[in-house]
Amino acid sequence: MRTAGIGTLLFALLTVGCSGVKPTTPVEPPRSTAPQAGGGAVAPALPPPAPPSPPQPPVVAQSETAAVAPAASSTAAAPAAKSAAKAEAPAAKAPAKAPAAPAPAAQPPKKDVAQEAAKPKAEAPLDLTSLETRLKETKAIGLMTKIALKNQVDDLLNQFRAFYAGKIKTTLAELRRPYDLLVLKVLSLLQDSDPTLAAAIVASREAIWDILSDRAKFANFASN
Amino acid sequence: MSKRLAGCALMIGIAFGATPSLAADDAATRKDLAAVIALQGLPCGEVVSVRTQGENDHVASCKDGNRYHVFLNSAGRVVVEKQ
Repeated sequence: MRTAGIGTLLFALLTVGCSGVKPTTPVEPPRSTAPQAGGGAVAPALPPPAPPSPPQPPVVAQSETAAVAPAASSTAAAPAAKSAAKAEAPAAKAPAKAPAAPAPAAQPPKKDVAQEAAKPKAEAPLDLTSLETRLKETKAIGLMTKIALKNQVDDLLNQFRAFYAGKIKTTLAELRRPYDLLVLKVLSLLQDSDPTLAAAIVASREAIWDILSDRAKFANFASN
Repeated sequence: MSKRLAGCALMIGIAFGATPSLAADDAATRKDLAAVIALQGLPCGEVVSVRTQGENDHVASCKDGNRYHVFLNSAGRVVVEKQ
């Protein structure tokens, strides 16, 4: 009761206080004896602010060295755990496909083609270890879902092994479909609760496919 | 008498304190099982109740009336069996 009364009193005081506030009228400075042009002006007109300079286009740092190297060789994780994350993490799409910084129109077409060809190699290095760790630790996917995904990744890797061993008659194009579906499953589970990781997987999607679709790279990856 | 009341109050307090965490775990399990069932391409929609039969062994009842036994077999694979 007491607190309610105090609260009511405070509210009443605030209301009275707010209603009692009157807008302050600006006090005119005393007029000097000399007549002023535009008598009512108090403050000199400020020069208009300089228009902001247009933002510089981002300079995409591109190195000439091939950055897509399987990080699997440097990982010390268990093969089963590695396969779960590495096959799941999709490679990054080549920036040649995405609109990059606008090239000057004066450049000859040959240089553009050379730049376009160099862009896939200038991708950020594929960090499979980091992706694997993040997938293991993400709270967006439950334990049984992670195990189920790992099962599907292992099945896909076995399909690739059988393909390269000549045990199954299929093509890489046909293997691409289950790979894409698996990536979509992972993304659908991550996109709402862990969008950062989902974006990382999208970015590395093509790089991982590059490893899977190359016999030598896949053999190196599978052996680690 | 006072000791009994204190004990009852303590138990009630523990129950109320533990209920939110248990509910959260149950919701996480339901979501996990729904995702597992969806990964297998089986219809479910939403898991409305879960009966846990053991470690990594659950029976999930779905909103559409389907019921699945979801468990981890000896080979470490997640198996989903319709019941």
